[in-house]
Formats: sequence, structure tokens, C-alpha cells
Amino acid sequence: MLSLSSDSSPSRSPSPSPSTSSDDRYRAPSPMANVPSSFASSVSPPGLSTFHADLATSPITGGFESQMHMSHPSFTSQLRTQSVGSKYLRRQSSSVDEDAVHDTLSPTHVSPAQLYSTESGRLFHAGKICIVLVGLPARGKTHLAVSLTRYLRWLGVKTHAFHLGDYRRGHIAPGTEVPDDYFLVNASPSTVILRQRVMAACKADVYRFFEEDRGQVAIYDAVNPTSAGRRVLVKELNQRGIQTLFIESICDRPEIIEANVRSVKISSPDYIGWDEKEAIRHYLKRISDKIPHYETLDEPEFSYIKLYNAGERILLNNSRVGYLPNRIVFYLMNLHIKAGCVYFARAGKSTEPRPRYKSDPHLSDEGRTYARILTDTLLEHRRSEHSARGADGDNSPERELIVWTSTRRRTVETAAEFEKRGFSCRQRPQLSQMHPGSCDGLSQQELEKQFPGEVELHKKDPYRHRFPRAESYHDLAVRLEPVILEMERIPNDILIVAHVSVLRVLYGYLMACSTFDIPELDFESNEIVEIIPSAYNNKVKRIKIYGVEESETL
Amino acid sequence: MGGYSFQVENVQICVIMVGLPARGKSLIAQKIVRYLTWLSIRAKCFNVGNYRRLETAHPTAEFFDVNNSEGERLRKMAAEAAIRDMFRWFDEDLGVVGILDATNTTKSRRNWILELCRKRNVEPMFVESWCDDEDLIMQNIMDVKTTSPDYIGQDPEKAALDFRNRIRNYEKVYETISERDLTYVKLINVGSQVIINRIQSYLESRIVYYLMNLHIKPRCIWLSRHGESAFNLTGKIGGDSDLSARGREYARQLPQLVKLSVGNRPLTVWTSTLKRTQQTAKYLPYRQLTWKALDELDAGQCDGLTYEEIENRYPEDFAARDENKYEYRYPGGESYRDVVVRLEPIIMELERQENIMIVTHQAVLRCIYAYFMNVPQDQSPWMEVPLHTLIKLEPKAYGTEVTRIKADIPAVSTYREKGQSAKIKSK
Repeated sequence: MLSLSSDSSPSRSPSPSPSTSSDDRYRAPSPMANVPSSFASSVSPPGLSTFHADLATSPITGGFESQMHMSHPSFTSQLRTQSVGSKYLRRQSSSVDEDAVHDTLSPTHVSPAQLYSTESGRLFHAGKICIVLVGLPARGKTHLAVSLTRYLRWLGVKTHAFHLGDYRRGHIAPGTEVPDDYFLVNASPSTVILRQRVMAACKADVYRFFEEDRGQVAIYDAVNPTSAGRRVLVKELNQRGIQTLFIESICDRPEIIEANVRSVKISSPDYIGWDEKEAIRHYLKRISDKIPHYETLDEPEFSYIKLYNAGERILLNNSRVGYLPNRIVFYLMNLHIKAGCVYFARAGKSTEPRPRYKSDPHLSDEGRTYARILTDTLLEHRRSEHSARGADGDNSPERELIVWTSTRRRTVETAAEFEKRGFSCRQRPQLSQMHPGSCDGLSQQELEKQFPGEVELHKKDPYRHRFPRAESYHDLAVRLEPVILEMERIPNDILIVAHVSVLRVLYGYLMACSTFDIPELDFESNEIVEIIPSAYNNKVKRIKIYGVEESETL
Repeated sequence: MGGYSFQVENVQICVIMVGLPARGKSLIAQKIVRYLTWLSIRAKCFNVGNYRRLETAHPTAEFFDVNNSEGERLRKMAAEAAIRDMFRWFDEDLGVVGILDATNTTKSRRNWILELCRKRNVEPMFVESWCDDEDLIMQNIMDVKTTSPDYIGQDPEKAALDFRNRIRNYEKVYETISERDLTYVKLINVGSQVIINRIQSYLESRIVYYLMNLHIKPRCIWLSRHGESAFNLTGKIGGDSDLSARGREYARQLPQLVKLSVGNRPLTVWTSTLKRTQQTAKYLPYRQLTWKALDELDAGQCDGLTYEEIENRYPEDFAARDENKYEYRYPGGESYRDVVVRLEPIIMELERQENIMIVTHQAVLRCIYAYFMNVPQDQSPWMEVPLHTLIKLEPKAYGTEVTRIKADIPAVSTYREKGQSAKIKSK
């Protein structure tokens, strides 16, 4: 019998059932309901993808509005005090050290790499899309849903994943258990009714996401095993003006399936407290119960992507929904289930106390010492992690470490010690810090004296505001996209040595941070930040570097 | 590609085209070469047909009949010659991506090439173009094949018919790729279905993504620099100055110039975030988008100086730039190579789009032009791109047609020849 106690330990406990959450629905504060006219006029042009473009302007007046409507003074404070209650089932998250990929987006959310806003809130002129996942359990569907959500949100596509499993768990009152035959195909009528209620609740949220929250992409994470069922779903969605894109995850290698089950068991709320072997057996039985009635995608009129063995083979059919499927396929080609860890470290101190961008200074002696200690600390940390895993019974080999730096001297020289010890180091110009423009080398006081108006504007929207001739965090996010994709593809562990502005953006991607949090993220100069990917959430660990002082932003 | 340095990963890839004649293989092959070369990845196409033509200049369809043993022998020889040259290029010229452009329609032929690649430690990647749309095929034949060297001097109708028969011979032995352990991309009916199998590296995924974004709909791209700016008048580089009076005149005349060239076709205008391009595009009645990536090459410490001042203050830098203008990076600034890296998303987007007009700056324009016109790195930074000129690019089957439309408004020249000292003030 499945026991689902909802009061189990991890911080991510499932929220109460949907019927109660509708009472604490998040409602946007009324000032935001009136979107300023600069946005009302930017209507989606036909047949155009404007990826990487900035805000659309009215051609005749030529005015360039660089301030998003988020700069409304009261909005910032309101969002910061946003209550945890939401209209959808979601896992709680309250700090930036928690992966926010499962959080609900507010109706007026603007993404880190989003390039423009439209009145409808929908980008790429693709309208409303429901990505319907298809596949047996333990095929990595949820991992796919989570990763896709992270990536699409990052691009500015308002995305939310709806995991049917969460609704099932949410529909069972705390203390009671799921009926024995819940996962069986020929269940009793009362179980069938329960299942239908669960599905209806999920669908209701999906529609609310589209209709009320101006959502663009909903990812419906469920098995969807029969062709008939899928056709009914497509018809229902089409009636509401929602296009569908199916993504089927197919696995014919048992070792992948078992590895999935093992990692799913660790992260999924379903099996908290179970014995590992029991859990795997139970899970595999769930799978085999469904197999006789599973029909692979074969409907030629559907737009679909078939993903075989976690990306070994990809089939794209009939991409009528335009830009997005190509982008998704590109992402999928590079996505790995077993991604390596990412370490973030700052560059060492340079010969200039406040290093100017234009002068590109070298590391000082103190900086070189830091570089050595950094190398020792990280390698020691990796050694101890590896032996800890071995003690746990995980004998997988240590993943190779590679180092990425920018082309600026401080970062290259910080990584020099790694290079000396034989690690592969690569310089990437996109990892250069945010260009300071006219503010290069200015102290805060000098900044306030020379550009008082700009400082004010910057306070209102630190993410998107550009000082004269400078870049904004947003520009940085756009610039870093190839780095992000390559990071997903590489199975190695990666150490990124870069300026704190770059680290903030990359961290923001991996932890699905909002545009409010990214400019404020902390990267101490005596810390290495480690991000460990996992199927459901990325986790953060901070590794202290001893023997190095904390200091101001370099 | 973003600084993909092949020093770290010494990968060599052989892209093997597969498909019946008139499926756009050569077009795809040449676009891949152009794209990768622009990103400073050494790429070269080896067209087996060209090697075959050295021996047999005007074959009829019978030459390609499988049962014609003499024809078979000659065609195999041509393939061998092409592959030999390709491997020599990998070794001697440090090639990274070599493209074998031939039909390669049988499993046995593909296996043969596969073995050769594996022996040489070159990663094979197959690209199959599969099409059963008769209209598309016929159009391809009419556009390209009737003007092929194989049919010089012949009546186009007859040539088309003969070519159709040639294809029929290939069809008899065609085996589409189905070997699951190969790395391949299958483009079916110009991308209505795409099958991607066993992609091994980021470079391969980038090539696949590029292929998925290509389309063959006819369209044009218009390029223009901003109008003459205040900095142009004083000879200063960089900055964010306004347009001069003559520049403003160009902005006023531009809509008419564009209308004459574009006609009634839909158009979108892309500008940079600097004032001078936005002021130039101000009167254009089309949808506009600003792109940070279209901003001028960052001159770092030299921003706001004239060439003369740069030559005086940083004489070594000034000379070094002349030595290798593509690689030279201004201290605290960018190089042409850096600009190409940041322009890559623009190029990808341009491939997807239809009619676009770009109002940008000298260095950026040179890079975009170099992509479409396949201008090598030692020449692209020295190209002359005068102010107040609209350049129209029309990509066609095997090349791009260029038209320069000059507005009748004089402007200073911002052009400096290689080796020319800036100290001699030119009027």
C-alpha cells in the first residue's frame, strides 16, 4: 500500500489539495492591472520571431522605453512580500538557495533573458502551446519537464509544468492512502472516478494558467498512454485555442530506466521512508502494469518530438508551432540526464584596487595566492566528495573537471594553477563581465555625482537598466546563452571563474531566480559555490576557502 | 559558436551528404561551409561531381546506370579522389569539418566511407536530404541542373528530361539511412520532419540546429550603415553621437530608397542600441527592433579618439592592428572575431526570417556581409562600406546577388587603407 504522508520532512512538502488553494490565489495588485501604454502598443507582429531583440518601439515616435513596467515603485515591495499561497499546487520556496523552477510565476513576471513583452504576454508569435509529455514512468519525463521549464522561462516564454503526480498526491487527504488499484488499468469504478477528478483538477489549472495568467507554454507531465486519449486531449485543447506539441520520452535501455528509478526515488515525494530495493521494485511494477496499454506516438497530423534514450535519437515531426520546437530540439540535443556539477568562483584580486574594465589588469600577489588556495580547496573538496560517495556504495568514477574563464586577464590567471596541474582550461569571450560603459572605475559616490538620474533609474530596475554605454544584466543573460547550452551538454564538472556579474546570471539560470534576485545574489570572494543538478531540483552548496579574506566586489 | 576553440578539443568531423540528385545537397553543403568558416572553423566542401567531371564532362543518364560497369568504375574513382583530397586537407590544412558532397545513396558506399573515416580518426556525420515533393524537385532541376556544367550548350528542356532519367537510375538503388549506430540528420521534405541520431558533440548539435533553421523561401536582406554622425565628421571612432545634418538628410531619404527596392513586400528593420542607427531608421514605416548585438565594435581605450590620436598615443597598437585586423583586440575592447561571436544569434535569426533590413555600424556590417558573401578573414575587416549606401543581398541557389544603392548625399569617408598612416590628414 502506498502511504503518502504529507507531513514528511523535506522542505518541499506538497501543498494542500487544490480545492483549498483556490482561496489563497495570488492576485496581482491593482496598479499592475493597468499595463502602461508603451506595452499596449507593442502588438505581436505576424510571422516574426524576435529572439534576442530588445523591446519593440513604435517606429514613428522612435522612443526607446528601456524601463519595463516592473519599475513601478510599489511593485518591487509587493512582489518581495508575495505570500506562499498560490493557485496551483507548487512546492514552497522562499530563498534563492532553493531552486525556484517549480514556483508559480506572477501574471506580470518578466524573465531573465526575455527579450520583449507583448500585450498578450506571449512570445515568438506562437500563441498558447501545451507541451504534452508522453511516456511510461521512469522515462525521465519529469526531468524533461523541469529542464524545459527552466530553459523556456529563461528565454522569457511564460512556462509552467503541471505534474499529474502532484495532483494525485494532492487529491488524497493527508493521513489516507491511495487506493491499491490506483495505478492498475482495470480499476474499480470509484478509483476511476478519483482518477478523473485528479485529471480534471490538473486541466482546470492548466486552463487558468493560460486564460488568467497569460501563460504561454504549459507542460503537461503525465503518461498519456493511448492514442485515443491523446486525440481527445488535442481536440479539447484546440477548442480553447491552444496548440499542442507532444514530446515522447522513449527508453529501450534497461540501465537507463533503473538509473532513473534510483534517482527518482531519492527526490520524489512518493517514496519518502521506503527501502531502496522495495521502492525500485514497486516502481517497476507500476510501469509493467501500464505497458500492455501503451501506444507510442504515431499520429502523423500531430506536431511531436520523440526523444529516444535521453537524447540518443530525436525525431521531430510536423513542427507547425514554429520557432519553439526547433529551439527545444536544440536544447534537447544538448541536455543530459547526468549533468555534471557546476562550480562558481570569483577571480583573484588584481593590481588595481578598483579594477577598470578598459585596463584589464593582472592578478596581484594576493590574487595569485588566492588562485593557489582556490585550486587546492576545490580539488580537496572533490576528493572528499568522491570518497564519501564511494562509502555510500556509489562507485561511479569521478567526473573530469574542466575550467572555463573569460578572456580577461584576472580570470585567466586565476585558473592558471589548474592549467599547470593538467586540467583543461578554456577562455570564452562571452564570459566577460558586464560592460560598465561610462561607469568604468567609478566609485559609488562618483557614480552618484556624475549620473544621479541613472542611479535612480538603476535602483528601480537593476536587472534591465543600462548605464550609459554599459550593458545590463539582461544583455548579459542574452550573451551567455551559448555558454548555458554548452553547460547542459557537457558531462564533465565545470569550474567557471568569472566576474560576479556573470556568476549571478549563470546562477540565476540554474536556480531559476527572478530578475529581482539576480542583481543581488551574493558571491563571497572566499567561497566556491557548487551547484549539483538533480532530476527535480538543482541544489546549492557553498564551499569555504580558508586563508582568504572576504572583500568588496572585485 | 561562441569561442569554440578547437585547440582544446581536437575534433575532426566529416559531414557526408546523402540523397538523390536535386535534393539540395550541394546547397546545404555550401551553406554549412559558409557558416562554419564565418565562425573561424575550418570547413571545406569536396564535391564528387566535380572530380567526376574531370574525366567525364558531359555524361548522359546511362552513365549513371548501376549496370553500366564502366560508369560505375569512373564514378567510384571520382569518389576516391575526393576522399583522398579531403583527408589530405584534414592533415595538412588542419581542417575541422570536411563535407563530402555526393549522393552516397547505398549502404555499401556509406560503409566504405565510414571505415575510411574511422581509420583516420575522423568523426563521421551523415546529412540526408530526403524529398518526395515533385514540385520542389522539378524547381530545383530547372533552377540549378539545367545550368550545370554537365549540360552546357544543351537545350534546358532536354537537359531537364535527361536529368530526370539520371535520377531514376539512382532511385533504383537508393537506401535511405536507417543504421541506428551512425551519427546522422535526416531532413525530410525541407524540414517537415527531422530525424537526429546520436549527436556526439556541441559542434555537431550546432550544425544540426543551423540546418533546422534554414529555409528555401526567396527573400532579401538590406544592409545600411547609420547616416553620417557628428563623430564621423571629426574622425573620431566609437561613441554614441547624433547624426550630422547630412546624416539626418539620409534618414529622411531612406524611406523612399527602401520603398523603391522593397516594393510592397513586408519588411522588419533591425537597429543597434546606439542613437545614430535609431535616428537613421526613425522615418522607416516598418516594425523596428533594437539589438544590443548590433552595436559597433567596442574600441575600449581608444573609444572617442581619432585614428591620428590612436597612432600617436598607441603606435604599437596601431601597427599591430594593421598586421591582423581580424584578431586584433583593442585594449579593454573587442576584435572583429569577438564581434562575429556576438553576431551569431543574429545570423541564425536571419536564416530563419524572410525580409529584413539592418541599420548598423561599419565593423558589424562588414561581418554580416562577410557571412553572406563568404569573404575571408584577412579581407573582411578591410572592405569598403561607405556611408549613405543601401546594400541589397539576395541569396540565390549557389551564391548571393549584391546590389548597392547609393543615396545622393555626400559623406566623409571613414575608410582607412591598410598601412595608411592616419597622420596624413585626408580631405
